[in-house]
Amino acid sequence: MSNSLALTLGSETVRMAVPYACAALAGIWCEKSGVVNIALEGMLLASALGAVVVQLATGSALLGLMGAAVVGAALGAAHALFVRRGVDAIVSGIAINLLAAGGTRFVLRALYGSSSNSPTVAGFQRAIAGGTSAATFVLDSVLSPLTLTSVVALAVTAGVFAKTRFGIRARAAGENAEAASSLGLDVARLRLAAVTIGGAIAGIGGAALAFDQHQFQSGMSGGRGFIALAAVIVSGRRPGRAVLACTAFALLDASQIIFQGKSRASHDLVTALPYIATLLSLTVLGRRQRSTVSV
Amino acid sequence: MTSPNASAGDGGSTDPPALRLVAIDKSYGALRAVHDAELEIRCGSLHAVVGENGAGKSTLLKVGAGIVRPDAGQIWSFGVREVAYDARRAQALGIAMVQQHFALFEELTALENIIIGHEPVRAWRAVGGIDVAMATERVLAVLQELGVQLPLHAKVATLGVGDKQRLEIARALYRDARIIILDEPTAVLTPLEATALYATLRRLVGDGRGVVVVTHKLDEVETHADVVTVMRRGTTLATRPVRHGEEVARLGGELVGGEPLPELRPRPPLQAHEAGGVRLRISELTCGRGLRGVSLEVYAGEIVGIAGVLGNGQSELIRILGGLLEADGGELVTGTLEVVHEDRQTTGLVLDASVEENLVHGQLARFSRWGLVDDARVHAEAMARIERFDVRPRTPETPARALSGGNQQKVVIARALARDPAVLVIAHPTRGVDLVAARSIHEQIFAAAARGTAVLVIGADLTELRLLCGRILVMLRGRIVATLPPSADDATLGAAMLGRDAGASN
Amino acid sequence: MTARSRQGALAVASALAVAWIVFALMVWLFGESPLVVGRLLFEGTWGTGYGAGQVLFKATPLLCTGVAVDLALRAGLFNIGGEGQLAVASLAVALVGARVGGLPSWAAVPLLLLVGAVAGGAWAAPPALLRARFGAHEVISTIMMNRVADALIGAAFGAGLAVAGSVRTEQVAESARIGRLDLVAHAFAGSAASFAFLVAVALAVAARWFMRHTRVGREVALVGQNAEACAAVHIPVRSRLAFALVASGAAAGLASAGTVLGYKGYYEIGLGAGAGFGGIAVALLGRSSAVGLVLAALFFGTLQQGGLAINAHVPREAMDVLQGVMILAVSLGDAGVRRALAGRSAVGVTA
Repeated sequence: MSNSLALTLGSETVRMAVPYACAALAGIWCEKSGVVNIALEGMLLASALGAVVVQLATGSALLGLMGAAVVGAALGAAHALFVRRGVDAIVSGIAINLLAAGGTRFVLRALYGSSSNSPTVAGFQRAIAGGTSAATFVLDSVLSPLTLTSVVALAVTAGVFAKTRFGIRARAAGENAEAASSLGLDVARLRLAAVTIGGAIAGIGGAALAFDQHQFQSGMSGGRGFIALAAVIVSGRRPGRAVLACTAFALLDASQIIFQGKSRASHDLVTALPYIATLLSLTVLGRRQRSTVSV
Repeated sequence: MTSPNASAGDGGSTDPPALRLVAIDKSYGALRAVHDAELEIRCGSLHAVVGENGAGKSTLLKVGAGIVRPDAGQIWSFGVREVAYDARRAQALGIAMVQQHFALFEELTALENIIIGHEPVRAWRAVGGIDVAMATERVLAVLQELGVQLPLHAKVATLGVGDKQRLEIARALYRDARIIILDEPTAVLTPLEATALYATLRRLVGDGRGVVVVTHKLDEVETHADVVTVMRRGTTLATRPVRHGEEVARLGGELVGGEPLPELRPRPPLQAHEAGGVRLRISELTCGRGLRGVSLEVYAGEIVGIAGVLGNGQSELIRILGGLLEADGGELVTGTLEVVHEDRQTTGLVLDASVEENLVHGQLARFSRWGLVDDARVHAEAMARIERFDVRPRTPETPARALSGGNQQKVVIARALARDPAVLVIAHPTRGVDLVAARSIHEQIFAAAARGTAVLVIGADLTELRLLCGRILVMLRGRIVATLPPSADDATLGAAMLGRDAGASN
Repeated sequence: MTARSRQGALAVASALAVAWIVFALMVWLFGESPLVVGRLLFEGTWGTGYGAGQVLFKATPLLCTGVAVDLALRAGLFNIGGEGQLAVASLAVALVGARVGGLPSWAAVPLLLLVGAVAGGAWAAPPALLRARFGAHEVISTIMMNRVADALIGAAFGAGLAVAGSVRTEQVAESARIGRLDLVAHAFAGSAASFAFLVAVALAVAARWFMRHTRVGREVALVGQNAEACAAVHIPVRSRLAFALVASGAAAGLASAGTVLGYKGYYEIGLGAGAGFGGIAVALLGRSSAVGLVLAALFFGTLQQGGLAINAHVPREAMDVLQGVMILAVSLGDAGVRRALAGRSAVGVTA
């Protein structure tokens, strides 16, 4: 592989890893506090639209990012509330995903008249102005506001769960809700907070998705939310490892550029790689909680 | 360590009690767990709440600790009526409960488990970072008061049962509990450890705290308690100071309501020529760290018991015999084998299914032709089993969830014994079962043995084991370490369970 | 009506009410009157023979996927792979169907139905295997299979499967087609409704009968209620779980009967898309009874067809939103009823 191709691959991987990683971190906030959340996909999608709508309305990428975080947080809160009211967590997740898919297309039609694309947005300014060498691309990806924000999110996630009051209590609520409640902890509130914060982090990932493509496209989350969920399972809910797993998936995603220009069929097959990789990862690494029942 | 007489402790009847429960009702669906129950707890005394299994003791005390909300009744603390009483409020009042199934978080450290909910924070309060140094300091002070040691930074999952219990008590103290409630604390302890526990509890009472012990072990009440409340079938019968001597006999009578049950005579040990062939042979069975080489034999018509503090490999043994766990090594030779598992609600029954479905659970093949189930035959067989094992209510459509503990256990046993297996393995036969049903279950076990079934009983209740078994094996750290006759006394059995000679101190 | 079905009816009724409110809000957003648009929706569906026929046509695959999701749910599994399963099955049916010209109808059609079921079941087999052997979460694996299906089918078409210049397969043989309903019921004239609808109804009835009266079916339901208790009595849990998922895939595969055999006569990319997810809504609304599933399928079929009819006033994507809303509303309604009956749990913790 040529040097510049390798660097391009590297920078693309970093850029593409952000949505995966943010979704995975969101998944960790939920899983650790005991809420099953398969709506990461819908959160990514809806918050991507949120980012675009806000930037188109205000002209500011930063506000767009915040808008995305708000949308993600809102979906997270909704999920936590539904589960609290007795809806099965997976059913709620499915419903949110469907609502996000249909809702984003609906809003797209309502606001911009198209059911597939939004108008283009600028996203964030490039971190490194000028220069077109491959090295510049890499630095640009690494230093982009979105990448930096997601790194901060990783640090915050790890730090909160290990060292803070909230983190301990949330972990307790996730491990043994009944015991936690009998000790006076407000399990419902802990979970609501954790899932909402997670949602906000997922929102960052959604913004990254949209700003990377400079527009919102219908269905653009493309299964990343589920792959991120697999990363969470495979990493045993550890933030650092989950992000590592996400980077691996992102690498597979980015490797499509190597096949650009080849036949259509091989191109299609390459798009299947991340999904097949996810399936395989679930075999060896994705064991459910080991129980002594041999089922 | 004799218990002081009843008038010791704080102000007696002039001060309002720390906790007072009045006319408490609590039902779970069709099951009336507690009705019209009353309880008064004071600081400075060791208060025992006794009753047979299923009498409602745990439920009542959970109401007192705010863990369970009653359907009706009043809760008073220090003379003030409580509205909206919950776990939080109970903690604020200084009431803590150590439950039968520990409220611990396995993946958190011992320190974290103790301080949770009351974590000291560092200067940067807004973010909520925990001040580990201060936490450690405070916890060590508590441990010193208790006179115990615990590995603070170890994950709770690695701790033994005794340590976990001490952890729970430490947590109660860390939270400045004035009333500490313990639910069946000695169920998981050897006799020696139980004595040590009561010594600790005495010390706490001496410090001015109140201790409540929920138990069905009458001898403990007589030896250690100041006050006793008797419960039967969900309601409190009487509360009075403990008097020595006639206590156990008197309490026993009250527990079952007057009519004394005729004593079930324990079976004499099987003579060699009476036994049939070996029906179950286990050789050097190993599994992970739980089983380190178990060997035993059970003959047809024999009832053999396995005693031991829970957590020494019994669960693994039962699960391996039941096919739920794979052994790493060793040999198992047996005929038809039926297992009644430890937790009937999760492993024995499908609670949402009907009694009929549960009675034939796993046996549908016998009632099916070409894959189609013959419902008429299923129904007939279910009714027969209900009759034979006296399951109540006698309606097979009832969901299993609605049955009492004793009847649920009867269903599981009925299913296991339906086809006269060569071997029956039964864990905790009468845990959570009322006395009448327990009697019935014991009779069924005797009957099965009389028919030639080899029975293996695994449990922690030494009284029951002595009643049922011809010989008692003791299990410790994954091995069988002793074989004792049912006539062995508590000290001998307790020592074997600890792996020491009788007479050695803890 | 038993107490349980009364609760169910209550939950459904409240869900419908919520759906109506959301519908009205969306219509207002576009400056239209809900009543007017609502009437248009009705007229476009049950108001004419053609409309009713179209509803049946749209309901057919939904009923199949609804049965599929329901089957899996009984075992406690979530089959979200309906999209991929029916796409793969449709492709298989189209390819085989083009080659059965020599067979008479009474042989060709059942054969193709079998092909569809087997193909759908086969596509559900990897997730079933992953679940049984490795305990891998079937939600993730079935969705991954959806995407792999997309990619593989795209690649296959790109590699020459398609009729030149198009994105579809060749026509299936005449004997393989399932007749349109308007051949016998002139009321449905012009609509795409076919006898495949009856096949779907038969499937719903058969599935229900299987779960109630066969040993395997009963054991699947017991596994769904308490897998550990089943393992304890030596019911082969993994086997039953895998069976449920594969059977689910097979049911989804039968959706191809309506779209390929009963309508287009070939498979093109995107034919039948959306039915996989629609099946989830149908299963949750249909509450595990054959009648319920049929009614739920007809309901969502009405929404889909109606969406087309009112597209000029309100984007038809609104119907997808309604689908998601109904799933939530039914579940919330269920939970609410359950709580009201059981009395508030003493431990203040849910989930």
